[in-house]
Amino acid sequence: MSAAQKDPYRGYRGPAREVMKKFGITVWCEVRAKTTRGEFEGLVLPRSETSDELHLVLKLTSGYNVGIRHDTVLDLTKVGYREAHYQIPEKEFPTDAGHPEVKLLGTGGTIASRLDYRTGAVIPAFSPGELYGSVPELAEICNLETEKLFGVFSENMGPEQYLILAEKTGEAIKEGFDGVVIGHGTDTMHHTAAALSFMVQKPPVPIIMVGSQRSSDRPSSDAAQNLINATWAAGHGPIAEVMVCMFGPTSDLYNLLHRGTRVRKMHSSVRSTFRTLGDIPLATVEKGKLTPIKDDWLPRRDDKDVLVQAAFDERVTLTYYYPGMNADVVDALVEKGYKGIVIAGTGLGHVNRLIYLALERAREAGVQVYMTLQTLWGFVQMHVYETGREILELGVIPLANMLPEVAYIKLGWALGVHPDDPEKVKELMTTSVAGEVTEREPHDGYLIFQGGIPEVQEFLEKVWR
Amino acid sequence: MEDHNSDQNPGGIRPPGDLNPRTGPSLDFPDKPFGEMTPGDYEAIGFMAGLEVHQQLKTKSKLFCRCPAGRRVTRVDAEVLRHMRPTLSELGEYDGTALMEFKTKKEIVYLLERGTVCTYEMDDTPPFEIDEEAVRIAIEMSELCNLNLVSELHVMRKQYLDGSIPTGFQRTAMVGLTGSIPFRVPSLGVDRELSIRQLSLEEDSCREVSDVGHRITYRTDRLGMPLTEMVTEPELLTPQELQAGAHLLAQLARTTGKVRRGPGAGRQDVNVSVAGGRRVEIKGVHHHRRLPLLVHTEAFRQLNLLRVKAELENRGVTAGNLQEPQEGPPWDTSPLVLDAGAVLADTSFFPVRNALSRGDTVCAVLLPEFAGLLNHVTQPGFTFAYEISDRIRVIACPVHAPFMTHSEVDRGGLISRHWKVLERAFSAGPGDAIVVVWAPKEDAATAAREVLIRAREALEGIPAETRQAHVDGTNGFERILPGPDRMYPDTDTPPLPIPDTMVSEVRAQLAEPPWDRQERYQELGLDERSAAVLSVAQWADLFDQVAPDAGETARRLAGALEKRIPYHARKQNGAKPRTPQEVPGPARVSQLVRALEDGKIRPEGLVRALDETLASPDREVPDVLDRYQPVQDDDDELAEAISEAAKKVGSLRTASEEGVLRWAMGAVMKRFFGRLDPEPVRERLLTALAQEGASPADHQGGGSNKAGEGVE
Repeated sequence: MSAAQKDPYRGYRGPAREVMKKFGITVWCEVRAKTTRGEFEGLVLPRSETSDELHLVLKLTSGYNVGIRHDTVLDLTKVGYREAHYQIPEKEFPTDAGHPEVKLLGTGGTIASRLDYRTGAVIPAFSPGELYGSVPELAEICNLETEKLFGVFSENMGPEQYLILAEKTGEAIKEGFDGVVIGHGTDTMHHTAAALSFMVQKPPVPIIMVGSQRSSDRPSSDAAQNLINATWAAGHGPIAEVMVCMFGPTSDLYNLLHRGTRVRKMHSSVRSTFRTLGDIPLATVEKGKLTPIKDDWLPRRDDKDVLVQAAFDERVTLTYYYPGMNADVVDALVEKGYKGIVIAGTGLGHVNRLIYLALERAREAGVQVYMTLQTLWGFVQMHVYETGREILELGVIPLANMLPEVAYIKLGWALGVHPDDPEKVKELMTTSVAGEVTEREPHDGYLIFQGGIPEVQEFLEKVWR
Repeated sequence: MEDHNSDQNPGGIRPPGDLNPRTGPSLDFPDKPFGEMTPGDYEAIGFMAGLEVHQQLKTKSKLFCRCPAGRRVTRVDAEVLRHMRPTLSELGEYDGTALMEFKTKKEIVYLLERGTVCTYEMDDTPPFEIDEEAVRIAIEMSELCNLNLVSELHVMRKQYLDGSIPTGFQRTAMVGLTGSIPFRVPSLGVDRELSIRQLSLEEDSCREVSDVGHRITYRTDRLGMPLTEMVTEPELLTPQELQAGAHLLAQLARTTGKVRRGPGAGRQDVNVSVAGGRRVEIKGVHHHRRLPLLVHTEAFRQLNLLRVKAELENRGVTAGNLQEPQEGPPWDTSPLVLDAGAVLADTSFFPVRNALSRGDTVCAVLLPEFAGLLNHVTQPGFTFAYEISDRIRVIACPVHAPFMTHSEVDRGGLISRHWKVLERAFSAGPGDAIVVVWAPKEDAATAAREVLIRAREALEGIPAETRQAHVDGTNGFERILPGPDRMYPDTDTPPLPIPDTMVSEVRAQLAEPPWDRQERYQELGLDERSAAVLSVAQWADLFDQVAPDAGETARRLAGALEKRIPYHARKQNGAKPRTPQEVPGPARVSQLVRALEDGKIRPEGLVRALDETLASPDREVPDVLDRYQPVQDDDDELAEAISEAAKKVGSLRTASEEGVLRWAMGAVMKRFFGRLDPEPVRERLLTALAQEGASPADHQGGGSNKAGEGVE
């Protein structure tokens, strides 16, 4: 907010700024504007920096904002000054000795947020006081301690942040917290969940990632329910794994706990975007009740033992294969010094012959190449067709039903952990560390219903309520 | 309500402009029924009203997605359940309405139908670009109201936590501000300008299906339809003026030809205040004719609330006497609330007995110095106690009714022994009143708080409320009146410039406003009433295309269209008067009018010829015209008709010579369907009657009532 005093023309550039200067007006001035389109009265708001430089924004007493074009302005008269102070009401987060201690690590994202109307963007709000101010129910669940690690949006999370996050999670466990919640943007939440699954192994307490698909500046936001269920699962839940806690259905009913290595964001905007692929979710969480669905999860323990392996080699890539792919794509990666390539292949794990030679050259250069599936569901099966067998002979290693993004994260991690030992890397890659490869795919591990079909319609009419 | 509110008070909940400019209430003015109030009476109580007219626009798509607009369905393919939480406004305030609605803790259910709803309406997809067709219509309507157009539309979010919009806010954008339109109502002696405060473009909300306890259900077909909201200044000074204003604005919207018609397509909210009070908004009035009684009743409700306030002041009651309880169960934290379950365990009053057997909490709330006031009549059939129970109904959402009684209920309710025990428990005196409420524990706590909140608001007089219209003209509580704090910018949509080029394009094809049209028609020779009707009629364009000569022809055509088009439309549509009427094309009607102008048919023949043209679309117009050629003086049939009529008058039991002539004229003219000039016929009949020697003096009554064309 102090920036407001520094720049009295916040967000205004070019002609709009000139008009303000000409009439001695700054942001937060209440003005009467005479224009070629008539008279307007309102409070001059800061302008979003991504908006054009031609208009002034006035907030009318009715609460509406309107834009006034600079060249319609005949006169601006200042009639008052009223600077807004935007803050979520901070209330001290009450503690209760009977409640579990939960650590909330913040990475950014929109679990709790407020509007920045300079940029029009949503900025995270995070302190326990702020969170308590907007989701008071949290105080009935746990004693909350928060730590803001980064203020980045999901798409800006990367290896550098994974390492810090893993270390901080490990520290929280060592400090004796009963659970760790990580607030995260949803776009790459499953990448980070995978990274934590490998970097923080066999934790004694739940590590739960949570975010929201509708930012919490909206009344219909999923943030509060997600946060409530995530803190509950972290503080009280019996499952001690890295998990994602997000909406089950699009309705405000219950959350699902997904294993960190089998979860994926599957829709750009719906609330129920996170799905467990090739398996079923671990549990449902709803209003203080956690109901396991699977039974092979790791239980909560009383110790503080945890294996933290925070390492990542960034010279790995994930290549999405397509039919016309040329060999030089692979060659370029090898030339640029990449040490590992994960291919998302077609069908059972295929690429065309055009790149065989390049794959061979990669092997000769010591670059490890792994095969995953762009079908997302199912196992890599390279013995079924001749193509597959040929590719195997080129040294490409199949990764069963590991999801492509998970394989990418795991390869970066494995190379980071064993920088000088390719065989160890291969062994690690082909061994399931945190449930990233399953032995069996249950019949209901793949469910994409086709809308419009009578029996699906009938099912939805019953279930979507 | 007034314009003098630019110095908005920074900490205040709403602009002081909501206050009626006259601060002294007319407490001594007697309660008069509707119909006995003169304009002077309304002036005496300081009645002021303004309108917010919501009009659906006739676009192909909804406003922020590409779902089809204007479909109404009952089919349900799926349901979604959501909750709403209040959020902060851009200026850092929680809105009062939002907080209230959060207290209600409703489960909100949306019924989805695949043809009318996509993931946008479900709040599962961000908005698409705003529908340009709708923007252009909104600009056109702003231009018709002479509003100042903004240069850039900013889509705002207006919070509604009642669930009527799944996002929890309505996307809305201001299009134009500060204008006026001519407001002429000769029957009310009104001839002035009506100020239009603003016009915004917004998405429509859901249709409510049911609201039971903590669950409210909505249908989503209407959700997201483009809608304009036109807001007038509170310048309508009688209920009749208000109705006329609503009518004018509806006509104005229809003038564009780009708005929807039919049930729910146009809805009015009214803002009402009286001297000493503040604006109250009544929502969702579908019929203009319901407005006058509604606002009359509301004016007196407000006056009576002001009387309650005055009496409380008189008794020295202050807000301090009615403290809202701290957090926690109010029966633990407030001396004004107690858990009455034990006291009433042996009651024979069924609602309370049933509540106790359900395990509900029954609590009593003391209202110090309220004796007599709970029975103060506020609306026909309602007392001040209803103000309280209605709040509880909406905010605490009790499932079982009734859920409240009080110490002033004359018959039924608790027995006096129980009231005495409660009085003792509170150490209450004869000047106090006690309210008893029952509901599940948490709801009972909310209810007890609301009793105190509403009682305290009695000290302010008129709480700032949005109320809902009942069919009988009374109204009930809907929500706390929202303030500007519930508006914040929509971060999902960029500002949309409204360049001069777009404005010029709209102006180039601007509909002629009804007042201009009316003036033009009066210049053509129509009287004021006919001109007013024609100016907003669906056949006005037809009239213009046919372009009748000024004077007689124009008058005849206007009259014929006004009478006959709705008649034929009704016939075709099977008596569905709300169905838009079919207007014939100008080609055929034009031939009729030219024939009239050329003297090929008589003015009286126009209506008949038009009837036939409308009823038989396949018949060639010249053939129709042949049948209505004027009858010549030497026509044999005419001579015969005259003589027949003259002969028959002898059998008439009619009182006067005048009556006889009238009957005879009718008998003759009827046979010739307006093909005759009545004057010569009259002369010939007089002669014929004289020859027959008819003497009508002995007879009484009867006969045709009207000489003339014999139409209908």
